[in-house]
Amino acid sequence: MSAIFIMIGASLLLAIGFLIAFIWSVRSNQYEDDYTPSVRMLFDNTTIQENKQETNNKTKKTK
Amino acid sequence: MKVIEKSETKTTCYHCGEDVIEHHYHIEDKEFCCRGCQTVYEIINKSDLCSYYDLEHNPGINQKQEVRKGKFDFLDDVQIIQKLTHFQDDTHQHVIFYLPQMHCASCIWILEHLDKIDSGIIKSQVNFVKKEVTVIYNYHETSLKKVAEDLTIIGYEPHISLNDVSSSKIKKYDTTTIVKIGIAGFCFGNIMMLSFPEYFSLGKSDDIGLETWFSYLNLALSLPVFFYSASEFFVSGYKGLRQRFLNIDAPIALAVLITFGRSLYEILSGTGAGYLDSMSGIVFFMLIGRYFQNRTYQTISFDRDFKSYFPLGVSVINTDGIEKQISVSELKVGDRIKIHNDEIVPADAILFLGKATIDYSFVTGESLPVEKSIGEIVYAGGKQTSGAIELEVVKEVSQSYLTQLWNNEAFKENKEEVKASFIHRVSRYFTYALFSVAITAAIYWSINDSSKIWGAVTAVLIVACPCALLLSATFTNGNMIRILNKYKLYVKNASVIEQMSEIDTIVFDKTGTITEQGKSEISFQGAELSSNQSQLIRTLANQSNHPLSKSVVSFLPFTKMLLVKNYKEFKGFGTSATINEHFVKMGSSEFVLGKDAHQLVSGSRVYVSIDEEFVGYFIVKNAYREGLGNIVSSLGSQFDLKILSGDNASEEGFLKNIFGSKSEMLFEQKPEDKLNFIKYLQNHNKRVLMIGDGLNDAGALKQSDVGIAISDDTNNFSPACDAVLSGKNFTLLKELVNYCRRQKTIIFASFVLSILYNFIGLFFAVQGDLEPVIAAILMPISSISIVLLTTGLSSFYEIKLKKLNPDKSHY
Amino acid sequence: MELQKFQYDNKTVKMFAYATILWGLVGMLVGLIAAIQLYLPSANLNLPYTTFGRLRPLHTNAVIFAFVGNGIFMGVYYSLQRLLKARMFSDLLSKIHFWGWQLIIVLAALTLVLGKTTGKEYAELEWPIDILITLVWVVFGWNMFGTIIRRRERHLYVAIWFYIATFVTVAMLHIVNSIEIPVSFWKSYSWYAGVQDALVQWWYGHNAVAFFLTTPYLGLMYYFLPKIAQRPVYSYRLSIIHFWALIFLYIWAGPHHLLYTSVPDWAQSLGVVFSVMLIAPSWGGMINGLLTLRGAWDRVRDNVGLKFLVVAVTAYGMATFEGPMLSLKNVNAIAHYTDWIVAHVHVGALGWNGFMTFGILYWLIPRLFQTKLYSEKLANMHFWIGTLGIVLYAVPMYWAGFMQSSMWKDFTPEGQLKWQFMDTVTKMIPFYVARSVGGALFLVGAILMTYNLIKTIKVGTFLEIEEDQAPALVGEYQSHSKDHWHRWIERKPIQLMIVSLVVVAIGGLIEFVPVFLVKSNIPTIVSVKPYTPLELQGRDIYIREGCYTCHSQMVRPFRSETARYGEYSKAGEFVYDHPFQWGSKRTGPDLARLGGKYPDSWHYNHMMDPTSMSPGSVMPQYPWLLEDQLDANSTISKIKAMQRLGVPYPEGYDKIAIKDMETQAKEITANLKKDGIETLPDREIVALISYLQRLGKDIKSEGLKAQK
Repeated sequence: MSAIFIMIGASLLLAIGFLIAFIWSVRSNQYEDDYTPSVRMLFDNTTIQENKQETNNKTKKTK
Repeated sequence: MKVIEKSETKTTCYHCGEDVIEHHYHIEDKEFCCRGCQTVYEIINKSDLCSYYDLEHNPGINQKQEVRKGKFDFLDDVQIIQKLTHFQDDTHQHVIFYLPQMHCASCIWILEHLDKIDSGIIKSQVNFVKKEVTVIYNYHETSLKKVAEDLTIIGYEPHISLNDVSSSKIKKYDTTTIVKIGIAGFCFGNIMMLSFPEYFSLGKSDDIGLETWFSYLNLALSLPVFFYSASEFFVSGYKGLRQRFLNIDAPIALAVLITFGRSLYEILSGTGAGYLDSMSGIVFFMLIGRYFQNRTYQTISFDRDFKSYFPLGVSVINTDGIEKQISVSELKVGDRIKIHNDEIVPADAILFLGKATIDYSFVTGESLPVEKSIGEIVYAGGKQTSGAIELEVVKEVSQSYLTQLWNNEAFKENKEEVKASFIHRVSRYFTYALFSVAITAAIYWSINDSSKIWGAVTAVLIVACPCALLLSATFTNGNMIRILNKYKLYVKNASVIEQMSEIDTIVFDKTGTITEQGKSEISFQGAELSSNQSQLIRTLANQSNHPLSKSVVSFLPFTKMLLVKNYKEFKGFGTSATINEHFVKMGSSEFVLGKDAHQLVSGSRVYVSIDEEFVGYFIVKNAYREGLGNIVSSLGSQFDLKILSGDNASEEGFLKNIFGSKSEMLFEQKPEDKLNFIKYLQNHNKRVLMIGDGLNDAGALKQSDVGIAISDDTNNFSPACDAVLSGKNFTLLKELVNYCRRQKTIIFASFVLSILYNFIGLFFAVQGDLEPVIAAILMPISSISIVLLTTGLSSFYEIKLKKLNPDKSHY
Repeated sequence: MELQKFQYDNKTVKMFAYATILWGLVGMLVGLIAAIQLYLPSANLNLPYTTFGRLRPLHTNAVIFAFVGNGIFMGVYYSLQRLLKARMFSDLLSKIHFWGWQLIIVLAALTLVLGKTTGKEYAELEWPIDILITLVWVVFGWNMFGTIIRRRERHLYVAIWFYIATFVTVAMLHIVNSIEIPVSFWKSYSWYAGVQDALVQWWYGHNAVAFFLTTPYLGLMYYFLPKIAQRPVYSYRLSIIHFWALIFLYIWAGPHHLLYTSVPDWAQSLGVVFSVMLIAPSWGGMINGLLTLRGAWDRVRDNVGLKFLVVAVTAYGMATFEGPMLSLKNVNAIAHYTDWIVAHVHVGALGWNGFMTFGILYWLIPRLFQTKLYSEKLANMHFWIGTLGIVLYAVPMYWAGFMQSSMWKDFTPEGQLKWQFMDTVTKMIPFYVARSVGGALFLVGAILMTYNLIKTIKVGTFLEIEEDQAPALVGEYQSHSKDHWHRWIERKPIQLMIVSLVVVAIGGLIEFVPVFLVKSNIPTIVSVKPYTPLELQGRDIYIREGCYTCHSQMVRPFRSETARYGEYSKAGEFVYDHPFQWGSKRTGPDLARLGGKYPDSWHYNHMMDPTSMSPGSVMPQYPWLLEDQLDANSTISKIKAMQRLGVPYPEGYDKIAIKDMETQAKEITANLKKDGIETLPDREIVALISYLQRLGKDIKSEGLKAQK
């Protein structure tokens, strides 16, 4: 059934694509540290406070 | 004897969370326990990083003992910078610091915002698992030294040791195993999926093309498994055979090879679909097992030698009396070195100038510092505790009394390779049995139906490969290691468990091992002291900062100090002074009583006389671990116990009545002596478990079948050993050892189970008709049930440990 | 490598957020109307455009691709920038992406209402829009990978992996499933026929659910749940394993949507096995999500956003458990074609996607506008109304589904079917009412949210420029450039993209190879002939009116079905069906064997007013079919297209096709005349009747002996 070949072919190629991605991610030590990133993503950028003021100033100016 | 309890206060330090005793450090409503904590807060506040305090409550590190200015001067030395930084271009340097104090989200937060504290720092990234921080900084705006100081100021003093430069390569974490597992898993899954038409033998009915197509796809998918993922079995199997040693990997490799070969034949000849699914599956499971087993505790390094203790830099005073920082490894005999307070003496040297009070706890575990007078030799590894001193180096670092231990051949060979795990022995019998079955099958068919010979033989070899054995071993070990970690026994690798289960002799180091580090017991012998007597004594003791005097001060009730006249200190003897018209003397019996009291008394004694009238003496000895008695007696019933101590036999008597007279005790043992004693025991085919803590035990620990280092906090350093046990769980020792003894039971149990599956498989195999489906069903079922059984059993045996576990805090 | 200052692009995020809310309301409203029509057919105002058959695709498309789609982009654009410490790769691409996607939605809405549809569920949009989707999708990918390349944070947080998977897989699925031959600008025929079309369609259908409704939202979960709860995910390692396990498995699970159909058994079993295996990774994700909140349930109590997320994750857990269960053959035998499935998907859509989106919006909007949420109280109200809505929706549907299915299977002791189909329909009415109430509540909740957020936006000031700083990564690479793999990293995202594109391309190529090489092996049944031109036209009307949304054309091999409908369907019967019309839901009876069951006049009257022929019917009236004139000229191109697809019309048949058509039309009008119905042969109704009368006839006549 041609459709089966199509689907399996496509699926397999896709899967292989992801396998390659997997190998890359491991080899490039993406998972060397499997804890810190989960904490790091919690930190908000520290420059935000200043910006608040800036924007506030801006809004004032516009008024 | 009386105990001094600490005054309890409600308020805790906003920074480090410790109780605030003196209430004069505070900013707004925030209280601090010490100036240090306060300054840290000020800095953090200034660089608006206060979310440091929002992420966790009082995350800070206590700042009570401040770090000496200029401690990191040696980081200005170009060569040292070169060695420490792992990258440098025209503006930037990258350095990785190890920060043992790192412990929470706040730590990560502050350490990843160093650029706010020092504008020269461009980026800092934490690896929490390794407790490392990578700092990228512009060395025109700041410097390595500055960075180290920044870290120190906010409470994360980087630990820089000789090790960091001598062993330059940083341990890379092993990616290939994971990749191998990933590939095997991937191919396994997809082969399974493509084999479905085969399983339900429906492919045919659908069309001719499909089935062949799929089996070729499977073949393609199995190649990476066979050639890449499974490679390590072939390699180690081959190595084994070359050393005339049939290890477990050989038969496994054989099975894999045959499975692949037969499948290849079947597919190419179009006679069948082969067993590629089973093959890739089993490889997948075995790799997982290996990985699980080899995942040991990351933050502990087991192969530390003296290098990890010794400072990197030391200040040398040249002829014109100018101080200069050089790397310890460059020290030469005759160099004049300056050792500051709380610094470690890197090489055997003669005291030249200053007042030396050396703390050898690193080396011996003895927590009471020793006084050294000018001209005496100070051994490497000792830590100066009373101000700066100057010494002259008499031996190079590598030749020192302590460090030459590492030249002993015990440190050359590698344990694991010497002793082959029983798994290999078992697998050998297994293999023989297997071959006989195969041969019988072959003979049988050659008589009845020669066409089936190959089918049968190959099938037998496919079904009954000892992979089940490997699985049970690896998963058992893996899970046991995990559980042992839970009880703060961190083993170096799985083979330790097996060694542990075979020991029959336990050798203890005394100080720091069966006694608790940094804890001393003091009591007074003699008539009850009147309040003003104790006031006099306390005043006198307060004059000297000899450790014994100090403990006397801390022992006696608080009183205000009196006026002291003509105070004299006699090195190595004692002190005297006139206080309130009373002549008070305290020190050795010789000094106080004039006559030398009988030696070999336990602990050190401080005799006291007032107006030449003997009032009594204090006994200062280090405290034994609680529950020592119970453990020793319970252990004694099972093993024969021995004691190896570095210091004098003063406490032999006391120890005898704990350990019983039959157990051997040796005192005044040099590191080599300890090592040799272990050797001697082993030559009388004893299997020895050595338990020590100090560097001086390193040799013995290394030589013994299992060397366990006791450590009162796991971040602290422990010498080369097979396992690290937290002092808190010392009492669990017996249970832990016995737990390890379960290992074989568990492995055999699950192995028996797997053999049952093998029989089912064999039943089909010998008849020469092994349906791929059956193989494909047996393989995962057996593997999974093995995993379940092993983990189940190993957790079941944990129960006893659970009951006794003193501290529930799981790391 | 100096510290670089940069600004996050909040504008695009804001726009996607607005779009999400707007289309959410629209999609839900349309859904509500459709739901009402199930018990009040006249709610279609007797307009073709608002009839169920056209609204239902509009509803599904609006909710999936407009509401959830914009939700995804909102979340991705927000989190991606922050996780990678970089502004989106190109503002222009962001603009094109946003407006392009909105354009697609508008076009979709218009064409679907006008009945321009391919007749393949969840892929109804016609080929020009398909191409547009492909383009916009590529723009999205380009923008995303561009950002990844320019990132300033080396580690790719797990959420990003989920985004990547979404992009690549959806691209492939969309392309493979949308291969079709254009007939005219708004009409095309699927490349595949019958069984094959069904396979591809449900392989797409399932994975569309997997990779459009699940993976991106898992990514969002892994970002927003920890963010809102202010604590790291329970186990980051688990989340990594979760991703790779899911990615290696999910793609295979398609065929379980076709259990007991004419799809080969092994393909079905395959679907089952893999669907069951999927429980593991799915629950891995759910557990990881819920355990993240361990010991922080107090925060859940006073943070409405978290409340929504918790329910969402729980709903995900339920749906991902139920899914595999439904793919078990015996469960499926009961649930398939009933409202049970409707309940199942809505637990996912309302619970998982809906609530996740709401939760994120409640957290995101106040942040973007630097203010507090206008009213926590309203938000909580929304939460409770919404939850109640879901319950009121799901429970009756499960009940109804189970009940209807068992009624279909009931036999009297004498071995007669116990119930007429109509009985099973009338029994459904109360449940349909209850369901629409549930849906209405959910919509009300969404309206409350909209009001609440608008108020919030009013008071706040939009954070136009949000600055951040981080050093570029480049320096770091140079630093290690001695080690081989570090070079990789730099080029990696590009390689990743190339790989994925290659995969997609080859996936497309693989396409044609078999179509030309492999001879389709479906057991050909001699008696099965191509449709006549008139029938073909009728079939296109059937597709246009979305009859497949209520009627299946697949008799499953059960006694209950063969007794009710006749001979079970054979794969061979569908070889000329471009596209297949098996349907997935039986609000009305199966039509596979309808041909010849009733006289032409019955159909005529039935279309004029269903209740006149079958009292109690909830089928809407189709008066326009009686008036509207059939576009005869399209026939030629249609026949040509069919020929190109390998349908064996004789050479040059397109020339005479129209003549044939007229003759057949005349016969039918003659028949109608006999029953006293006057109509012109060029009316659409005639064509439709001819198709309905053809259904399943071919193998009735000659037995199955022809089958090999």
